Amino acid sequence: MSLFRPARTVTTPSGEYWELYVSKTVLPEWREGRPGSHEADTWPVAAGLLELPLALVEAIWSGLVRPLLRVAVLLPGAWLSGRRSRAIRIEALRPYPSRRVLLWTTTEGQVDGVLEEIAAGLAEGRVVQPVGAVYSGQTG
Amino acid sequence: MSDSPYDLVDDLPPGAGRVAAWSAYALQTYGDKVMAHPGGSYEARDEARAVADACHTLAVDCVRCARSPEGEGGLPGRLPRWRTPLRDAEQLRGMREALEALRIHIAYDLERRGGDEAPGAELRTELAHVDERLAKVELLWIERPPPELRGGIGDALVTGLDRAYALGQRLASG
Repeated sequence: MSLFRPARTVTTPSGEYWELYVSKTVLPEWREGRPGSHEADTWPVAAGLLELPLALVEAIWSGLVRPLLRVAVLLPGAWLSGRRSRAIRIEALRPYPSRRVLLWTTTEGQVDGVLEEIAAGLAEGRVVQPVGAVYSGQTG
Repeated sequence: MSDSPYDLVDDLPPGAGRVAAWSAYALQTYGDKVMAHPGGSYEARDEARAVADACHTLAVDCVRCARSPEGEGGLPGRLPRWRTPLRDAEQLRGMREALEALRIHIAYDLERRGGDEAPGAELRTELAHVDERLAKVELLWIERPPPELRGGIGDALVTGLDRAYALGQRLASG
């Protein structure tokens, strides 16, 4: 069971490639800030010269550093909470042509059978809803 | 004749009066189980109280209906609904206990009725659908279920309760 290595890979009859991930951890959402929220017109002329480097720093901060810090802070809690639970998430990821993620939630006792059923369904080009799992549809 | 919904259903012969008495029994059972497991938060308990109150009020109406000469009066078409979609784990326990209680009553009635005639077979098929809902709940039942599982368990219980309620009415009609 790993967040970073697929438990199965499946190719549908139409050639779509899916990776199935099984984990107990709900990864914190990657949430970017909104750069350039200041009003440029209100800045004095001298400050205007600094606008470009400041905008660059702000873009890196809100687009990369801040979301990364957020994930780093929330990840241990998410991991611990997953360790205590007997619930298992199965995510099917289609990376291309457009990213698509489907989510099922099941329990430790059902995970093997449910994973088999999902993989077999996708191999036939179907999204199945196994009895031992709750299908939440598309996420992310 | 008893005024308690728990006894009345067994006192009446098949027909309109017994259908009303079954409805009262199902509503009383659901209301009591919901009240016994109202949930953890203030909001959850508040909502549980509203559902239980609705059940108990409707149960009284159904008893009145069952005791009337021809069993006249409108019966609720289904059990009262919750305002919000997600139940907490304790509320799910109450709903599950209610469904198990209704299922036992229906299975006992079906057994007592006996016979292999077509209506009986149809009713048994319907009971199998209720059992499927209970089996799904059993498969998903864990301690501290996350919202996704609670949603799935809640949906299975609501469907099962609705089917059991309707099946009990059909069975009581004779």
